Amino acid sequence: METVFISDLKPFLDAVAGQMDLYVPKKTGQGSPAGGQGSHGAGSQHYVFVRYDQSGQAPVEFNNIRACMPVKEFLFPLRELAAVFPEPWPPAGEPVEPKQIKPYAVFGLKDCDLRSLECLDKVFLEADFEDPFYIARREKMFIISSDCFEPGESCFCNTMEGKPYPDHGFDLNISQVSDGFVVEVGSQKGKEFVDGNCELFTEPGDDAVAERDRIRAETMEQLQRNNAELKFDTPIRDIMNETFDSDVYDNEAKTCVECQACTRVCPTCHCFYLYDTKQGPRFAGTKQDYFAKMKMWDSCMRLAYAQVAGGANPRKILGDRLRHRLMHKFVYFLDRYGLQMCIGCGRCVDAEAGDIDIRAVLKKLNEELKSTKVAR
Amino acid sequence: MKPNLYQPISSNIVDIIDESPTIKSFVVVPEQPIKFETGQFVELTLPGEGEAPFTPSSSPKDAKKMEISIMKAGRVTALLHQCKKGQKLGIRGPYGNGYPIEDFVGKEVYIVGGGVGLAPIRSLFLTLVDRIKDFKSVVCRYGARTPEDFIYKKALFGPWQKISRVDMRLTVDEANGHWKGNVGVVTTILAPDDVDVKNAVAVVCGPPVMMKFTTLKLLEFGFAAKDIYLSMEKNMSCGFGKCGHCMIGKFYVCKDGPVFTYERIKGYPKIWD
Repeated sequence: METVFISDLKPFLDAVAGQMDLYVPKKTGQGSPAGGQGSHGAGSQHYVFVRYDQSGQAPVEFNNIRACMPVKEFLFPLRELAAVFPEPWPPAGEPVEPKQIKPYAVFGLKDCDLRSLECLDKVFLEADFEDPFYIARREKMFIISSDCFEPGESCFCNTMEGKPYPDHGFDLNISQVSDGFVVEVGSQKGKEFVDGNCELFTEPGDDAVAERDRIRAETMEQLQRNNAELKFDTPIRDIMNETFDSDVYDNEAKTCVECQACTRVCPTCHCFYLYDTKQGPRFAGTKQDYFAKMKMWDSCMRLAYAQVAGGANPRKILGDRLRHRLMHKFVYFLDRYGLQMCIGCGRCVDAEAGDIDIRAVLKKLNEELKSTKVAR
Repeated sequence: MKPNLYQPISSNIVDIIDESPTIKSFVVVPEQPIKFETGQFVELTLPGEGEAPFTPSSSPKDAKKMEISIMKAGRVTALLHQCKKGQKLGIRGPYGNGYPIEDFVGKEVYIVGGGVGLAPIRSLFLTLVDRIKDFKSVVCRYGARTPEDFIYKKALFGPWQKISRVDMRLTVDEANGHWKGNVGVVTTILAPDDVDVKNAVAVVCGPPVMMKFTTLKLLEFGFAAKDIYLSMEKNMSCGFGKCGHCMIGKFYVCKDGPVFTYERIKGYPKIWD
């Protein structure tokens, strides 16, 4: 992979913003710094993505860990128009909105974010059932990822086959070193950008690359120390299958307040809800009211999520819903698509109002399986 | 540009049939023909109000029009019941798998239905009857709450009873003055010698509790779990295995079903709830 070097982020980001809309990380919230001890809870500092300010008044920030916002927000907004009808119907099969989507770039995505994209791609790019809205946004997205440093208290990607730095799935990846930034080119789109803006880039020195590799190794070691107690004696899929009837789910769900934050911030959760609505006469210059089919994020933790009109509901009990959510993450998705759906980003741990920690649930299930095996 | 999966096809209501106090059949003509296999379902949109999944009750032979029987069960179905002839609906689909008719060839087909569960079964029945010589027999056992609650009454009490190789019995949970037939839930008219379980398949469709007890009865008769076909009703919303609402374990009922053998889903909890 081609590697180049920049000493300053601003000219680079200005060049990106000159070509497309650019979103960058911005620290927000109060309390302890993002990722530091005690970052748990909604009031603490975290990163969000905002439109890049080219005026230079806002400082350019380099996020140490993933933003609070999951990357799915760019590809699959909280609410979108999915179809309009009836008169005049759009030409058969013509999507409503995707063609209006312009190229855009996101800076500051992390390895966990890129792995979440792999999961979402499996779902929304599946042959025969390709989602036109997702495809359009995915194709137009220019990914500028970056390495993590000082991982958060809730980060556990290393236990979920992740790393604090990406090695594929990006157009460009940025690693911060003491006197600048090492830029790795990860795609044809990325290469075209570097070639087209060659005045911005220099050759990286050997010491810069060595420093990057050292920081990466140190960050990984720190993650391993942070998560030293999160060890599994059996593959998680097997643990989940074998402890399916465990009381752990009902017990853990006792503190759940059904805020659904876990599924909102989860970058791989992709459930949605379709609903129909009447809209005012604003569409395509007509004076006529029109009907819209909307697509909105949904959550399998919601009571009525699986309920049918007749009232039947296979997951009336909260513990059953918690189990379904985790089974989907660690078993069902893996069986269907060959990928685990939890990437260890820890966003659900930070967001939970009810203090359900996915790591603690996994640990308890692992312990339970171990003790039943001993008992056998 | 990829076609928009969420876009319904505009369809005209050309006829509405009152089937029972709670069920109406809508005959709809889509502006583009919708080809489906018996057992597959569609998403029916009432513009501006909502969408719900239904399995057409008509024969798939006629792709120009489609009949959909709808029980008033929730908000959208109540609004659909207020629709008039000439009104427009939207249809997406078809989705999921149909009944594997070819696997039924040469066998006895044992159909057990209850209530509005007769809707998908009517489509299957018409398909089977169309090539009845390919099957050893078609044995039907239908139940309804009261005699008024039967749907497709004209055909059910008339011509369907007279088709050769078809054996049909009906029952009601509660009789009224005119009813001469059996009284009791549908499992009370199932008998071990109705079919030869070694060379038969069973098809079950109805309310969850009826499906549960029918399945248990069929197993008791010696049916193999792989020979029991269930038409599962879950909260299918998108229709193509994305939105998650209809999941039973790892299965998306909308995409991997709605027709499942009992063998396939028996390991999952609360499939009847």
